[in-house]
Amino acid sequence: MEGAAQRLESLRKQIRKLQAAPRTYLAVLKTGVAAFDSWMPGGGLPMGQVVELSGEAASGRTSIALRGIAAATREKRLAAYVDGPGELYPPVAAGMGVDLERLLIVRPKAPRQLVWTAVQLARSGAFACIVLDLTHTGLQLSLVESKKLSDAAFQGGSCTLLLAASRSQASSARVRLEVTASDPQTLRLEALRSSQGRGRQILIPVAALLPGEAGWPLFSTHSERTEEPPEIKRIKLVWERDGGGIDRNRPGRDAALPSLRGTVGI
Amino acid sequence: MRVLFLHLPRFPIQRRVAEMPSLAGKPIALSQETRGHRQVAFASTSALTAGVRPGMTIAAATALVPSLREFSFQLDAERKALVSLGEGLLGIAPAFQLAAPDGLWLDASAAPLCQGEEGLCRRALEIADSFGYRGKAVVASQLFTARALAREGAVRSQVIGTSESAKALSVLPLACLDSSPAAVEAIKSLGLSTLGEVASLPTGAMVARMGLEGLRIHRLCRGEDDAPLVPAPITPVFEEQIDLDWPAESVEPLLFALKTTLDRLGARLCSRRKAVVKLAICFRLSSAREQKVELVLAQPSSRPPLLLDLARHRIADLTFAAPVGGIGIKVEECCEDRAHQQVLGDAPEGDAVLDVVLSKISSALGPQSLFAAELDPFHRPERAYHPKPFRPPPSDRGLLRGTAEQQRAGDPDPNQLERPSRFFERPALLQMELGAQGRVVAARLSGKRRKVLAMAGPERLCGEWWEENPYDREYYRVHFEGLGQVWIFRDQRDGKFYLQGFFD
Repeated sequence: MEGAAQRLESLRKQIRKLQAAPRTYLAVLKTGVAAFDSWMPGGGLPMGQVVELSGEAASGRTSIALRGIAAATREKRLAAYVDGPGELYPPVAAGMGVDLERLLIVRPKAPRQLVWTAVQLARSGAFACIVLDLTHTGLQLSLVESKKLSDAAFQGGSCTLLLAASRSQASSARVRLEVTASDPQTLRLEALRSSQGRGRQILIPVAALLPGEAGWPLFSTHSERTEEPPEIKRIKLVWERDGGGIDRNRPGRDAALPSLRGTVGI
Repeated sequence: MRVLFLHLPRFPIQRRVAEMPSLAGKPIALSQETRGHRQVAFASTSALTAGVRPGMTIAAATALVPSLREFSFQLDAERKALVSLGEGLLGIAPAFQLAAPDGLWLDASAAPLCQGEEGLCRRALEIADSFGYRGKAVVASQLFTARALAREGAVRSQVIGTSESAKALSVLPLACLDSSPAAVEAIKSLGLSTLGEVASLPTGAMVARMGLEGLRIHRLCRGEDDAPLVPAPITPVFEEQIDLDWPAESVEPLLFALKTTLDRLGARLCSRRKAVVKLAICFRLSSAREQKVELVLAQPSSRPPLLLDLARHRIADLTFAAPVGGIGIKVEECCEDRAHQQVLGDAPEGDAVLDVVLSKISSALGPQSLFAAELDPFHRPERAYHPKPFRPPPSDRGLLRGTAEQQRAGDPDPNQLERPSRFFERPALLQMELGAQGRVVAARLSGKRRKVLAMAGPERLCGEWWEENPYDREYYRVHFEGLGQVWIFRDQRDGKFYLQGFFD
């Protein structure tokens, strides 16, 4: 009887343990790009904060955001992409390791609904990573909206990434990064605001960020080409003479051949 | 056949109080017009205590209780409310029959599923409680027996055995009979006062005095009622109405009315295993106009708290042109409610949060605005994926954690083709500058002349020649000065360059 009671108690303890820890703690989203993760203050994209990524249209911001989403879905969390311009290409997201079944894509019709949607998603706490893409929308966050987004991210504990075409005039994002495609092979990231101060820079190879063939190097068209083909170096062959004459240097050709009479029986 | 009668004493008064809790404990009366006079049809307990009686004129009742609140009695509305309750009870009984205005019969054949007939009574009273009604329940073999005992009995729930009907009825007064007052008076004139006394008379004597009606009454009193249960037709439309007694000018009374109505609707849906997909809320304004709001749920649900939360969110953004006099809620689209089996260690509150936020966004932006993507095996870049409803895989929590991990691999595809992360569904025409030998030199992009620094390609994609809109393109990945890498193509059919996307 006692044994049964003890067994029951141990089972109850196991149930309590299972119920008490339904989730694993996640502090940062590691993008998988070693250079970027080690450069970021916490070792990746921070949870519960807004990270602003600004830069030109093809500077690499979206790829960084997709790497963050892939990290979230790898941890079996949900992610959302509030796609203002409606330009996200899901096949590329899948190529970066994003589980498309866990990625919610929201494309509001009116630009003014973008921030509201992102705030709702961030505040809910149901999504680990939320991307608000304001590129090509002509929208710039006001300080109030930015503050609202930061509060929602903090409340929901989600990593909120803000993609903007240019540096916003007023932003309450804790981390602000500017991305520039400095040359065909590298991206330059500059911290406009972070816990480690501003002005820090890092160069990341494009191949580390873009998936598959998209990361392969381009062929430069910028260098000046000459119309004439480059000169081919000719190799001069020199025979060293050792005084042995032609018989020594070219054996088998000019030397006297042995008689075959003995072998053929003539 | 076993039946359960659920009696709801003074049901119209209970309904009023359930819809407006501020009326609880106050003297109220429901009036109806009879021969040009407004008479009391139902009165609350406090009004009855003060001397108000059914049949009294409203003028007399008001003279007796100056603080008496009067409302009009509408049989149709009471009937609808009873139907709502009946549908809410369909989860424990396969059919119900109305006994307006204060009760309904239920088919008790599913009692074994509720741990017997006592359990069925208990469950029926619990559901009625959830609607805000207090009642009494009796299970018996005849409709009359069950109703008479529920109306006149002292206990809250009672089960009468198959052969115990006559004995149980014997102590009840003649007022239980649903016959005409003249017939009841005729029996009283014989010096009889209980049903048991009527039952003890010889059948022939009753028939000789009162004819067929006498025979019927005699059979009822002996527990031999053979009237069958006639199931009420189940309406395919889920609709609820509520009238506000005072036009509401603020959100609070509206939310309260919505809560009451959605609770009823939720119970009806649950009992029929249905879930709401699309809901229409119609606010009837005092200016005889209507204002309609549609709620589209991202995930079908029949849970009243979720529906109320969504309604609250939508109302917060609404501006009414006039005070609201009534609310109508109609389920415009519903589906089968598939129950969710929870596992040990599950956290259902997380799923509820997801439901709320998805439904909120879906109802505000439209259901087409949020989706998940699914890849398609097409070479044409525009057709490489299609949107589908966002239904994340079930959370692998509790004991199931880790099992799903082996099934689903989220590793990137190393053979991913050269595709941009930002893609234009409609390619933009590009003004390219070509140098000697047709080399690409620069292009005008974002209003600027951008020099080409590097490029790769071409990747030739063509096909769908059998369709109306075939394609034949040569794609290049080009790095423009000050911009980054873009994906352009030369359309082989017109020879022009187009911008297809950015490698952002």
